[in-house]
Amino acid sequence: MLEIENLKTNFNTYDGVVKALDGVNLKIEDGEIFGLVGETGSGKSVTCYSALKLLPKTGEVVDGTVKLNGEDITNASDERLREIRGGEIGIIFQDPLSALNPVMTVNEQIGEILVLHQNKEIQGLASEKEIPIYKSEKWKASPGVEFTIMAFCISFISLFVMLGQWGFSLPFLLVILLMFFRDYVQKDNPVSALDLMVIEALSRVKLPNPEQIAHSYPHELSGGMQQRVMIAMALAGKAKMLIADEPTTALDVTIQAQILQLIKDIQKEENMSVLLITHDLGVVAETCERVAVMYKGKIVEEASVDEIFTNPKNDYTKGLLNAIPKGSKERLKVPNLEEVRTS
Amino acid sequence: MKEILSIKNLRKHFPVKNAWGTDVALVKALDGVDLKIESGKTFGVVGESGCGKTTLMRTLLRLVEPTSGSVILSDEIIGNEVSSNKLEELTGDELRSFRKQIGVVFQDPMGALNPRMLIKDIVSEPLAIHGRTENVRARVIELLENVGLGEEHLYRYPHEFSGGQRQRIVIARALALDPKILVLDEPTSALDVSVQAQILNLLNDLQKKYDLTYIFISHDLSVIEYMCDRLAVMYLGRVVEEADTEELFSNPQHPYTKALLSATPSFDKKKEKIMILGDVPSPINYLDESKAKLATEITEQEKLEINAIEGKGIDYIVRSSLNEVVPLVQISDGHFARVK
Repeated sequence: MLEIENLKTNFNTYDGVVKALDGVNLKIEDGEIFGLVGETGSGKSVTCYSALKLLPKTGEVVDGTVKLNGEDITNASDERLREIRGGEIGIIFQDPLSALNPVMTVNEQIGEILVLHQNKEIQGLASEKEIPIYKSEKWKASPGVEFTIMAFCISFISLFVMLGQWGFSLPFLLVILLMFFRDYVQKDNPVSALDLMVIEALSRVKLPNPEQIAHSYPHELSGGMQQRVMIAMALAGKAKMLIADEPTTALDVTIQAQILQLIKDIQKEENMSVLLITHDLGVVAETCERVAVMYKGKIVEEASVDEIFTNPKNDYTKGLLNAIPKGSKERLKVPNLEEVRTS
Repeated sequence: MKEILSIKNLRKHFPVKNAWGTDVALVKALDGVDLKIESGKTFGVVGESGCGKTTLMRTLLRLVEPTSGSVILSDEIIGNEVSSNKLEELTGDELRSFRKQIGVVFQDPMGALNPRMLIKDIVSEPLAIHGRTENVRARVIELLENVGLGEEHLYRYPHEFSGGQRQRIVIARALALDPKILVLDEPTSALDVSVQAQILNLLNDLQKKYDLTYIFISHDLSVIEYMCDRLAVMYLGRVVEEADTEELFSNPQHPYTKALLSATPSFDKKKEKIMILGDVPSPINYLDESKAKLATEITEQEKLEINAIEGKGIDYIVRSSLNEVVPLVQISDGHFARVK
């Protein structure tokens, strides 16, 4: 599915060049859950951002090739990349609340992706069911804006009445009346094709009353629900591959179990590939089939999950596994990172 | 067993007011918590966000006033010459001398350190506040050496340190006044596992060296199991289970504890899974009875999840079924749980 070969990424900083990735080789097969583990700064996230060309301006990919389904996307055009991001590859980020736009409803945010990546399907659905594609929203403003408009109108009306020219106040009177009877003047449009598709996307991630959730803002939802909305967004473009960048770090363990179960279920249903980036070895042990351990911009070990936890080969992996408290009260072994660096 | 402090039926209810200022609901952040904390041991508190862990910590420091109940302090903390051994009755100098005995380490070290202060000022600030002006420099160096830093770090700013080193500085500051108790609020959740191992080792060393009592708040059960001698599991402001760590991990009684233990990711793939369905219920208790009923009803999401999960061989608990108030019963010696 996704093949990364000898990827090298540098960051140019004031203190010199930082080699964030130093020759990363990864191969993610169709329909597997692949784990990428490592500590802060090991280059897990940079790998996925480099592959999708989402690096900040200071970073640049120096060397290497990225292949998606056999197609070389290393030098792909911006248009093609835009099709891939959100279309073929969906991404979930760590903190759902900062990844969701706080001033857009869930409906608008998922709708945006559908319009960009599923336009034909929306039009097809619209012509099939003979409903409009988009819903023309009723004229609507926040209560503060409405109050201000009302206050302006009333003050102008009173001004003109005082001046004796009350004929001029008629248009303002009309505005006030229209605001009161807006609901009768503008009729509710029937459901649009876009709405139906948003609701379908939300029900795929097992959210209750998708109609209601579609009209709420991110802050009105709980952490687990926000992460579900993020997953719905990532899947909305009919993604064949899902990149989950620390999807459960901001959540409680019980909610984490729910979200991981959901990712596993969806992966099975749609036979997707999932790249799970995490620092929690337990999460990897539970969800993934194969796993790669990263350290200092390199993959130090790649193996199946059973193999890596029962029989780790690399010193760093061993150190990492030893550092996790495992029930006994013995003193924890701190991995000697200096040694790993030289080996 | 020597108690250093005990908590008796502690309640903290935050009122929720409507636009006219009348109370419509209560958030029961703490709802009758009874705990006894043993001297020189580590007491763990686990639970998910919103269960009242942090409010418990704040009431212990008297940063918030409890609604009812009391915290009874032993002579070890406050000495004999005080007017009362109840925390809520302390005032003025007595309260200040109590606060000397209790140090706090917060979750995010960067948030707890003033970015514009030098390390020497940060660590010596508690000394200055409590009026110790002699040998400040020597004391600060001693504290830094205790946590594995040294004299060369005195004139640096917090941003020059890594996450683990910052947490060490916070620990050094918390120990500045020779406290008897250290409250650790998720001290390692912002750190990597290798750094976490260093910090946990350091905390264990310090506990032995200074005979400290730790109150350890965390949601990471592997860390809790490693650090704590005794453990309380909290759910929506109540302690649902309390036992010695080994006992609790080997023989959990309350359904929430069972689910929490099984939800923790582990390397053992065959471990039986119990899913908790639905989201964390709102801690708001409406005074109006018709609204209050909502809390115990099965929500739409829970129904959906039950449908999705049934027939897959996964055990589950519906979260709202945990809302029932069941009295605490003794299971075995020192093991209490709210089970029928």
